[in-house]
Amino acid sequence: MALIRTEKVCKNFGELSVLTDIDVAVEPKEVVCIIGPSGAGKSTFLRSLNQLERITSGKIYIDEKLFLHRENNVTVFQQNSAEYKRLLLEMGMVFQSFNLFPHRTALQNIILAPVNVQKKARAQAEEEARELLAKVGLSEKADEYPARLSGGQQQRLAIARALAMQPKIMLFDEPTSALDPELVGEVLQVMKQLAESGMTMLVVTHEMGFARDVADRIIFMCDGMVAEEGEPSELFTNPKNPRTKQFLNSIL
Amino acid sequence: MADNLETESGSKNKPKAKTAAEPAAKARRRRLALYIVLGLLALAVLILALTRPSGEKVVGEISQPLIDKAGSNYSQQYYNYLAFSIARGKNVRSAESDTHIGFAGRTFAVNAGAAAVAANVLCWLPALINGTRITISLTVTAVCAGVFLSVFLALGKISRRKLLSRICSGYIFFFRGTPLLMQLFFIYYGLPQISPALAINNKFLAAFVTFTLNSAAYCAEIIRAAIQSIDKGQFEASRALGMSYGQTMRLVVIPQSIRRLIPPVANEFIMVLKDASLVSIIALTDLTFQTRNISSSSASALVYVPAMIIYLIITAIFTYIFNRMEKRFSIYT
Repeated sequence: MALIRTEKVCKNFGELSVLTDIDVAVEPKEVVCIIGPSGAGKSTFLRSLNQLERITSGKIYIDEKLFLHRENNVTVFQQNSAEYKRLLLEMGMVFQSFNLFPHRTALQNIILAPVNVQKKARAQAEEEARELLAKVGLSEKADEYPARLSGGQQQRLAIARALAMQPKIMLFDEPTSALDPELVGEVLQVMKQLAESGMTMLVVTHEMGFARDVADRIIFMCDGMVAEEGEPSELFTNPKNPRTKQFLNSIL
Repeated sequence: MADNLETESGSKNKPKAKTAAEPAAKARRRRLALYIVLGLLALAVLILALTRPSGEKVVGEISQPLIDKAGSNYSQQYYNYLAFSIARGKNVRSAESDTHIGFAGRTFAVNAGAAAVAANVLCWLPALINGTRITISLTVTAVCAGVFLSVFLALGKISRRKLLSRICSGYIFFFRGTPLLMQLFFIYYGLPQISPALAINNKFLAAFVTFTLNSAAYCAEIIRAAIQSIDKGQFEASRALGMSYGQTMRLVVIPQSIRRLIPPVANEFIMVLKDASLVSIIALTDLTFQTRNISSSSASALVYVPAMIIYLIITAIFTYIFNRMEKRFSIYT
């Protein structure tokens, strides 16, 4: 039973076709990495899953429940608003540019949504936030503003913030691309721990080392299509699609 | 690994703290110097206040010939300011006058020169201060109410609801596109002609309503620009966390835009402070009205100098307050 499944998802920006017939399914506890050259539509795909972009056509299933069905930019079916919101919150998102709330401390960043969206008691939310901060190695920084944190610390805080909503699946949109090289490791470390703890993850990344070590499955996207899909050992050592071969040669 | 980096960045912070301590010590010394200066000033004021001449003594100095010659056409005023006393006798018909200043227990006759100007300025002060009170209260209340109103106007203008957005845009277009003076005339003189129920008979209230409506339009543009300058990522992060549009605005966007709002709102405040001089035309006794009044009754245009200085002082004080506010709101950057 897939946690997220897409059927023939297409996305056009005007004439420009960014995604074409994407069929992807992510099983519970699976870690899937999406790789591919820039402009392949990886980020757009991730963003259209949690509705930061509206797809042009296709179906999105969450928990095997039809979540959204659109054809030709018209919504054919969408879950009713309460269910829509609930299913949307099963996805947590980590952005390339962190997007932390600069006017709130680390702790306040984490509890903002649980307190205001899930209506959790503040004390309970704070307690959980401190646990999350400890999990990402930021216990000492609870009362710091994001501007006082390094890039790596900010991204770890963003991960904790997304986890605070207790999502079933975490979407990572190039989480290390905006970081200085020496800070990448700490973020990948946290993501690896998260994967080991059984979180379902869909990661758009350029970190091939991480993809090879942590991912259960790799999806190679190119020109808005899924060009190849397979286990990392298979895909990295023996790519079948010539485009995959070319891409891997150019970066390794 | 994460923990390693944690301690490393912790130790990096230490030298920073040392350098931060130095300006702190400097600031403490500066504050001490300020207290000493203020203390000395207070002491000087106290001494001057204790040695101040009584009003009657200064009045007594006005020359008897003037009083005799003027007879029943004689008027007398006197003012006391700490160590200063001013007494002025005037022959109303011939406008011949005799002015005496008392200072620190001594009395001087001043009918010419710089001392006479100083005496005049001191005589004008009570009226100018009354006017200042109205100018400040009009400006402060109108800008506060205007900013409050403008938040809704700005949110309305960027709203996706077409009708609401059009109405708000139209409002802003109207109030920014027509002269403030005409708006004031229309609200004070025009509304009663449309319907007596709309009449605002209190001049201050009419001015308050006009200035509020007007500065709301200007502030709405400021707030709209501040909201739209917030990074798109903030909206996306809020949405990904399940916040509604209202929650995003209230919890994330507006708090962040406040700091960016302060400099242009301060600018708007100072503009309104000066535009408030227009209310003198509907005979509201603000600072400008009082100044013009004195200028025509005493036939001295010199009164504009102290009046402008008062405007400068108000501007300086509020600029200082806004700067402090800006600093307070920038703690997180």
